[in-house]
Amino acid sequence: MATTTATLTLTSSDLLTDSLSLSATSTLYDAGTTTGLTQYEMGRVTVPSSDTNNILIDSTAAGVDKGGRVYIANKNTDETHYVQIAINDAVLGRLYSGDWMFIPWNQSDAAGDIEVVCPAALSTTCDVEYAVFHEGKTFTAA
Amino acid sequence: MATTTAAITISSSDISDNAIAISNTATLTKAGSTTGLDQTSGISRRTLTGTPATVKLIDLDHYQGQTLTENKAAKVYIKNTGTSTANHVLVSIQNGAGAAEEIGMLYGGDWMFFPYSAVWTSAAHANNQDIDVISSHSDSVTLEYMVIYE
Repeated sequence: MATTTATLTLTSSDLLTDSLSLSATSTLYDAGTTTGLTQYEMGRVTVPSSDTNNILIDSTAAGVDKGGRVYIANKNTDETHYVQIAINDAVLGRLYSGDWMFIPWNQSDAAGDIEVVCPAALSTTCDVEYAVFHEGKTFTAA
Repeated sequence: MATTTAAITISSSDISDNAIAISNTATLTKAGSTTGLDQTSGISRRTLTGTPATVKLIDLDHYQGQTLTENKAAKVYIKNTGTSTANHVLVSIQNGAGAAEEIGMLYGGDWMFFPYSAVWTSAAHANNQDIDVISSHSDSVTLEYMVIYE
């Protein structure tokens, strides 16, 4: 088995009266076990400017109700550029340039894809990096 | 303005032949600007106990009429502070049509951090994009969470 960890450090000296310093580390296990996730996929894509939902990470039957994790980052640099992230058309939020996100992803069903939109109003493409750590996926025959 | 940073490191020395190390730091800014997010719920804790039932962890009614998150750059942090690797808390978001869409399961020690551009539509929660949680077990489990918004 593999050992993969994800650590968050959230800090601010002036968001609150007192300093905010939060740290959290999780080890990425298969669902309900202490066995480390052993499969992953990483990528960088240029998302075309369009209001269409695009599948960034495809949900498959083999991943349903498993212990997947997803990392996504918007690599554009203009502060007005954002990508909208959704799961099966349910919008989570907007990643503005430089923003990242990290979530568990249980692929509730085969339609539970991770979707991305680079809005047409931006009139430019959006560069997105992502990584998905998972327990397995269903392959499609060629 | 406030300066808040969120840094992530994902690393493994043995998930593949070569080690992987993903590292990224975001400065949390208001939508479309370089001005920092300046409002927060603060760190909150909520304990789920007893017969598992859906609980609104983040209720948009708290932001009623103020559009604090709507199509903006808010961020949400949630952590399962428990230690059980067998029991989990399932996190879902309302999809705008009144149905919950599952995001994923937080086991003991797991955390998540994601953007949240939820739209408030109704005090009756008809189409609110609230964040719901439900435990997989009747054992007590405590969640820590925070919303940072504008």
